[in-house]
Amino acid sequence: MNPLLEQFLSEARDTLEAIGATLMELEQAPEDGELMTQLFRLVHTLKGNSGLFEVPEMTRVLHAGEDLMDAVRHHEIGFSNELADRLLDAMDHVASLCEDLEAERPFNASTAADTQKYVSALRALMPQHLDADPDEGTSPAPPEPLPRPAAGRLAQLPEALRMSACLAALQATPGQALVWGCYQPDDQCFFQGEDPLHLVRNIPGLLWADVAARQDWAPLANLDAYQCQLSFHWLALTDTEALATHFRYVPDQLRQCALPPLLLVLPQGDPNGGPVYEDFVHDALALLDAGDRSGLGRAVRSMLELSNAALWLSSALRWLQSLLQAPATTDEALRALILSLRQLQWPDWSQLATSAQPASSPQAVPPPVAEAPQTGGLDAAHTPEAVAFRELLSVQAEILSLPDDAQWLTGRIQAASGALGACLRANGREDELPALAAATAQALAEGRSAPLADWMAEAFAGAQGELQRQATAPCPDSGQTAASGSVRLADATHAEPPAAPAATTPEALALQASGASPADLEARIERRVEDHASAKSLKVDQVKIDRLMNLIGEMVVAKNAIPYLANRAESVYGSRELSREIKTQYAVINRISEEMQDAIMQVRMMPVSFVFQRFPRLVRDLSRRLGKDVNLVLEGEDTAADKNIIESIGDPLVHMVRNSLDHGLEMPEQRRAAGKAAQGQLRISARQEADRVVIEIIDDGRGIDPEVIKFKAYEKGLIDEATLERITPQEAINLVFMPGFSTADAVSDLSGRGVGMDVVRTAIERVNGSITLDSVKGQGTTIRLSLPLSMAVTNVMTVETDGQVFGVPIDMVVETVRVPSTSIRGIKDNLVTVLRGRVVPLKSLNRLLGLAAPPLANDNDELAVLVVRLGEDYLGLLVDDFHETTDIILKPLGGVLGGLRLYSGSALLGDGSVLMVLNVKEML
Amino acid sequence: MALEFQKKQVLFNGVVGVEEAENLLAWLQKKPGASADLSACEHLHPANLQVLMAAATPIKAWPADPVLAAILQSALTAHPSIQEQ
Repeated sequence: MNPLLEQFLSEARDTLEAIGATLMELEQAPEDGELMTQLFRLVHTLKGNSGLFEVPEMTRVLHAGEDLMDAVRHHEIGFSNELADRLLDAMDHVASLCEDLEAERPFNASTAADTQKYVSALRALMPQHLDADPDEGTSPAPPEPLPRPAAGRLAQLPEALRMSACLAALQATPGQALVWGCYQPDDQCFFQGEDPLHLVRNIPGLLWADVAARQDWAPLANLDAYQCQLSFHWLALTDTEALATHFRYVPDQLRQCALPPLLLVLPQGDPNGGPVYEDFVHDALALLDAGDRSGLGRAVRSMLELSNAALWLSSALRWLQSLLQAPATTDEALRALILSLRQLQWPDWSQLATSAQPASSPQAVPPPVAEAPQTGGLDAAHTPEAVAFRELLSVQAEILSLPDDAQWLTGRIQAASGALGACLRANGREDELPALAAATAQALAEGRSAPLADWMAEAFAGAQGELQRQATAPCPDSGQTAASGSVRLADATHAEPPAAPAATTPEALALQASGASPADLEARIERRVEDHASAKSLKVDQVKIDRLMNLIGEMVVAKNAIPYLANRAESVYGSRELSREIKTQYAVINRISEEMQDAIMQVRMMPVSFVFQRFPRLVRDLSRRLGKDVNLVLEGEDTAADKNIIESIGDPLVHMVRNSLDHGLEMPEQRRAAGKAAQGQLRISARQEADRVVIEIIDDGRGIDPEVIKFKAYEKGLIDEATLERITPQEAINLVFMPGFSTADAVSDLSGRGVGMDVVRTAIERVNGSITLDSVKGQGTTIRLSLPLSMAVTNVMTVETDGQVFGVPIDMVVETVRVPSTSIRGIKDNLVTVLRGRVVPLKSLNRLLGLAAPPLANDNDELAVLVVRLGEDYLGLLVDDFHETTDIILKPLGGVLGGLRLYSGSALLGDGSVLMVLNVKEML
Repeated sequence: MALEFQKKQVLFNGVVGVEEAENLLAWLQKKPGASADLSACEHLHPANLQVLMAAATPIKAWPADPVLAAILQSALTAHPSIQEQ
């Protein structure tokens, strides 16, 4: 998951929570304009952010919410509890969309339909005049399902295409069906970068499409080519899911309907003097009645061979031929087609069509608007009651046909029996109830459903044919209802919500969306509870983290006491065994505490991008102002370091970047003259090296001229004449870190006030970092910062002098050596020795600390020398003895001792004693 | 060049983008009766299509892609435009 999305999701969660809370408050104080504005702003922000991602559904819901709140804000409508309810529901939906996004679940059509429901529910509350706001891209009402196209319209499609489409649809795999659609792009869609033609060309399973103008074209001279006036009609063999996905950005501009394949069967051609095919019709019907399809096929073929291909008759025969290829074609369809030859008129497919629909035909869109299953044509009874009755029977038949091995079989039989009893009573057939009871009793006694099923087949024989027909080609809706129905009856604990009642008006949809059914409500509440359990990131006060840090610090100290204990066990109590056991235990505790420390460090880690992110803007603005052309390259932005470190380098980095831009990089003309690319490059990179973070700022500008620096420094009296002569180029460059140094001739508002690099160095050193500067004249400058990953734990070397123990930060220590006193020479007042071909000045730590005792030598008359690094120089400290290195939590000295700059802080040692940590630089 | 304007004919090459519609319209306004050759056209933005429709430009050759050709033919061959039903 990309970081942007991660951030969005975490923000979205917060915002949604805030929206919820604000809505609650508003319910208490509906007149509070301030709160309303706040709410509006929250929703507005979230909407804006959602636009960055591929979540048009979320944007749509939020857009609707935003419009609504805008209306409330401007007192166009009042705040009501209902409004709050719908908003809360919509926000829950947004939360679930967020979850989908997080789980990277692919888009699915039912979510889109839900979205539409929530949008409509919100829009339904809008005052009417705002509803039709032309500026808004989204249409207020969900698109109505498209009426089925008239036969005349379909006949415009080429016959061959219709024929193949019809055949393909009749043999289509489940889930696929013919869809007839109309897509009317928005007038302004070209300005939003849409290409409707491209969208149409890529409709999944597209069979045919045409395009037409919505109205007559303006005269060419006045034509606005960029106002979309097109409307597309298309026919596709596809599944609704894929279609909804394809049009997910413009669902409101799409209208569609399922097209029963038979509607395409429209013979065309020359009537040739009228209907004179009674002989053929008669023969064909006879063959059909006899069930002899192959015979019919032969008859059709021979008739076709005799007829002129342009005739209406031939067209009808071709259709017959192709329909005969599809096993799914019903006799009724064939019969109607044959009979049409009598009048040479298109058969009235709308009667037959639905019954011959394949099992999987999609429902009209939007999905909640389920078409009531129609079985018209064959059965006169298609009142809702009759339909429901048939469904009920089919469900019972299905239940009873289930395998008998379920342990809840008894309950199942009783449930079916109860339902059948109710059916009988509803039809006024109470006298048959005893028979039902007997069959039920028998079924229960035998432990199988068959007796009841047999009774049912007999008692409802009238409806049985219907049932069987449904079994071979069940209507999709009744199939679905049957499924959910049987679940409901068979296992009440898994109750599914009842099939949504047909609803087409926005109000009805709104009611649905606001969740009338209790089961729905319960599910939603449950979801809400789950929502709260799934927060992934925490916002924690830094104080708490600091406390953890301190605690782990104490833990480390306490842990360090254990080895002392082990030693005591051995030396004082003489138990070597116990000592070993303590040491083993110590190893375990040590490991855990180290891991713990590491984990807490991780919490405090922040990527350097936190600091880096301000640079693109800064560089852009500055380079614009200076008239320079600069390409900024950021690298290693996800390198992480302790929060304090990251925060402390922000200002120094900005300062250095400014310096590079102002002094380092030249104007484009100068660069060209110097043979460089006109565009300068500024590279800021971060990387981790062992336990340090290294940040480099590299420019390819004019570099630093050591000569210039030297003389500037001399002019300002920062160095004397002797130094001026002696100084190396590198040392000269380092003079820029001297306080009060500035090279710029004029003080600009960017840099050059002479408070620059020394401040930078101080800031970096405050967090135990170091800074180095390399520059090649004419080629550029490299500034390198090296920072510790974390400040919390300091590794120190402990040394002993005059009976006291002191700590020296290990990163200052170069080496520890024993130097024979004979190799120590005095130069004037100073002691020096030669170590590895290098003259190292020696200082006695006792002297530096004002202790009178001389350094102690060991038995071989060797002195302990702790060699430390001071900038570029080495210095040897004469001490009495070396001890181990240890991890400590360095605490700065406070109060009266705060003024002692000799010490950088103190720490507790494992044995409870206090260790003073020396600040070697300050000591000299 | 996506659009190649010749004396009395415009050639559509490859993918013709939305920004071409402006040029096409200007050209057709100057040259009434000019025709179009779409044989090398892979896709055209509907803004261009609208211009061709409004100008009733005769099409000399259709695109090779059958789906595209069929859609364009529905709009650009001379049959009365079908209104929304």
